[in-house]
Amino acid sequence: MIKGPTGRGEDKSLVSRRGFLAGAGVIAGGALAGSAFLTACADASKQATGALQISNWTGYIDPKSVAVFEKQTGIGVEYSEDINDNNEWFAKNQLVLAKGDWIGRDAVVLDDWIANRLINRLKWAEPFAPGVLKNKANLLPELSNPAHDPGRRFSLPWAVGLTGIAYNRSVTKRDIKSLDDFLALDSPTAVLSEMRDTVGLMMRAERADVTQPTAASAESAFALLEKSVADGAIDAFTGNDYVSDLATGNLGAAFAWSGDVAQITRDNPDVRFVIPDSGGLIWSDNFVIPKGAEHRVNATKWIDFFYDPINAARLTAYVQYISPVVGVADELAKMGGKAARLINDPLVVPTPSMLDSVANFGILNSGDADAMDKRFSELQGAA
Amino acid sequence: MSSKIERDAHGRKQARYAPWLLLVPGLLWLIWFFYLPLYSLFRMSLSTKPSRFAVPEFGWAWSNYSQAFSQYGAQFQRSFTYALAATIVALLIAYPIAYVIAFRGGRYRNVLLGLVVVPFFTNFLIRTLAWKTILGNQGPLINLLQTIGVLGPNETLLRTPLAVIGGLTYNFLPFMVLPIYVSLEKIDPRLLDAARDLYSNTWRGFRKIIIPLSLPGVFAGSLLVFIPAAGDFVNSYYLGNAKTTMIGNVVQDQFLVQNNYPIAAALSFVFIAIVMVVVAIYSRLLGTEEIA
Amino acid sequence: MSAVVGGAKKPREQYGTVTSPAGRLGRFIINLFAAGGLLYLFLPIFVIVAFSFNQPVGRFNAVWNRFTFDNWLHPFADQALVDALLLSLKVALISTVVATVIGTFMAIGLVRYRFRGGGAVNFLLVLPLTAPEIVLGASLLTLFLAPTMLLFNISFSLGFATIVIAHIMFLVSYVALTVRARLRGFDWTLEDAAMDLGANPTRTFWRVTLPLITPGILAAALLSFALSIDDFIITYFVSGPSTTTFPVRIFGQSRTATPPQINVLSTMILLVSISILAIGTLVSARRTKRDTA
Repeated sequence: MIKGPTGRGEDKSLVSRRGFLAGAGVIAGGALAGSAFLTACADASKQATGALQISNWTGYIDPKSVAVFEKQTGIGVEYSEDINDNNEWFAKNQLVLAKGDWIGRDAVVLDDWIANRLINRLKWAEPFAPGVLKNKANLLPELSNPAHDPGRRFSLPWAVGLTGIAYNRSVTKRDIKSLDDFLALDSPTAVLSEMRDTVGLMMRAERADVTQPTAASAESAFALLEKSVADGAIDAFTGNDYVSDLATGNLGAAFAWSGDVAQITRDNPDVRFVIPDSGGLIWSDNFVIPKGAEHRVNATKWIDFFYDPINAARLTAYVQYISPVVGVADELAKMGGKAARLINDPLVVPTPSMLDSVANFGILNSGDADAMDKRFSELQGAA
Repeated sequence: MSSKIERDAHGRKQARYAPWLLLVPGLLWLIWFFYLPLYSLFRMSLSTKPSRFAVPEFGWAWSNYSQAFSQYGAQFQRSFTYALAATIVALLIAYPIAYVIAFRGGRYRNVLLGLVVVPFFTNFLIRTLAWKTILGNQGPLINLLQTIGVLGPNETLLRTPLAVIGGLTYNFLPFMVLPIYVSLEKIDPRLLDAARDLYSNTWRGFRKIIIPLSLPGVFAGSLLVFIPAAGDFVNSYYLGNAKTTMIGNVVQDQFLVQNNYPIAAALSFVFIAIVMVVVAIYSRLLGTEEIA
Repeated sequence: MSAVVGGAKKPREQYGTVTSPAGRLGRFIINLFAAGGLLYLFLPIFVIVAFSFNQPVGRFNAVWNRFTFDNWLHPFADQALVDALLLSLKVALISTVVATVIGTFMAIGLVRYRFRGGGAVNFLLVLPLTAPEIVLGASLLTLFLAPTMLLFNISFSLGFATIVIAHIMFLVSYVALTVRARLRGFDWTLEDAAMDLGANPTRTFWRVTLPLITPGILAAALLSFALSIDDFIITYFVSGPSTTTFPVRIFGQSRTATPPQINVLSTMILLVSISILAIGTLVSARRTKRDTA
């Protein structure tokens, strides 16, 4: 590079890179201006915070309930949808909880088995504030005494779902009725990466009792799974991403959760949900207060709010998972329009025969749980 | 006042303490937030946990390493194979791009380079999801390939090793283009004239002159693709299946699902060690030592 | 690189022109491959932009339904997504600034001086780049979560600070090496010239050295900004429950919904970066004209 006395030589690349000076000014200005603009948009919708902090999964609340709750109780709510995965949540919060510190959230929503881990195995959950729960009696009787929390002192279901098989009729070209049909499919199939859902469905196909599971009784289910993966009858293990794959036809069939399918099936009638002949599973996501929560009373008020059938109906109309609250069907009818039509959707308001064909996966003892988790990870090629 | 500072052939000053003033902030940061964690990870890899949720205890547990080697050989192999495939494909795609920009780009060189980088200002995951749309089972690409006969009627592109390698290649492509471009750009253009004069068949000129001079860029680019590709887990997660799991997936599973930090740590170190060996061999082969 | 050295006067791209048919064929093939390569690079981008105009059926924007401008009329409809983007921008801005300063100092230190230990520092700088992201993320998680594993007993809680710390860590190496590469051919005797003319070392640095190396620094800063905004794996490991960055948000959200706003926001980012590129080129073209006029 030739450089003149002031260094601004004939080097074209140096000169053109100077253009980046201007560019950088634009970026800095743009980023700042953009930030300011977006912050303005964000602030416009922020309310009083700090009196109640809740973590939940994405898409698990309707747009209006937070505002209605805040107005009714005067409690400011900070609601964040940052739970993506039970295990990820646990791994990150584990050490804080182990030290006995507060994780910064007054309530979280987690699956049965991880709620069990918090409540029973590690004692990291707080009971609900006494005398605040007025609507607890509205809980569906079938859900009022689960193995992981008899008497429901630490947890209450937020939403209930069924596990079964979903398939895209235009891809499979036939109806799926049983697990054998599922495994015999040519088109790509997927099972869930949640151990209890996948193994549970397999266990039911193998006529094992899922309500009192042990590693021994799950043995034949695991054998079937391992064989199917090795043969290629099962192609993949997915989280919720099976939904879009089913809709686009990338998957022919998948183990699925009822609420996910309820949403697509209305718009894409090719995608259907079925409880296999051998039976399906019923599960609930639990609202739990972690240890050290600062606003235990407010958290209890929050869940109590959602056990009023009116609020529960509003939630269900949007989220389209099964409600744990009695009387929701009537409220949905009163809401009219699209909400009322949900009553006829068996995935949102299940029929009694559907409820008979599903069972709840019981609590595993810790040794069995660890062993089965490990074996399941090995199945996925990841352990 | 003139300063009589000793300068070497490159114009650099000989100094004792001055450079350290400049280096210290960066070094401190790296030491605290990379080397120290690496050390703690190492200690973790030699620890054991009495039960799943207990705090790990240090105990010179070399068995973690033997377990890492023996149990996950397949995943290691797969990771490096996929990464190698991705690197080679990336090289084949990137070289012409870098070549054309460097030698035929003219005034538009910077714009073209920018165009190479700009797609990567969108989000990693969105790009992968876009590939799912392109490669999807009802998409145009599958129909085309099936009509031509390359694919059978029941075969798919998604959830195959090919899709994973494709994803890896795509995501790290600019890291291959940019270093090769920098190497090619440094070549004195009069050498091109010389090549043309000496070898009327330009392929030989290319092979004898251009390729050797671009080797530092090829070296840097290959490493910048190979290493992150081998450690990736997202592409396998979205585009692969139960039989395409890579070491990254295993580490993620061990950390987050099994809560087995010691094994995860041991796996990480085995990975780093293998990578270091690969880098050393590769640099010997190519005869270059620098990465930048 | 300029072709002005040694008195030759043609523009760079006219060197090595071939006239033989084999040569021309070879040239054509290479151009074809390059064009194909660029097309390959942009294929998913076309899809992303196209789908930003899609009205999806249901919650996933994976199947083309029908064209609509709605998404562009309400680009900030998904509040959580916008918050995540804002957070990503904040993290990127802070980490880029800090990493650029630290990294530039390191680069200057390495290139300007010859001293004992230069090779070792070089190695220390390069090693983080050769460690895969999952190892960086995992080891930082170990640092932040398990202080009993360390010598000191400081502990961090996962959140904004940990994300910024992590980003600065991996960016420093990129900046240092990028700036160092650009500084390779720098003529340090200019500093002697400046000091001979009467400037003291500080003034020399600010008025002579810094302006000349600024383009390299800016290029490194741009690269860092892009790397920070798009970082997923490391951020995934070290982010806290209420600090969700843009990539992490999309990852989590993609399990339940992929609103078209994701495509809209991504296209916006794309447009902004292309505009900056265009402006930069225009400005430099004007400068060249002005300088050579």
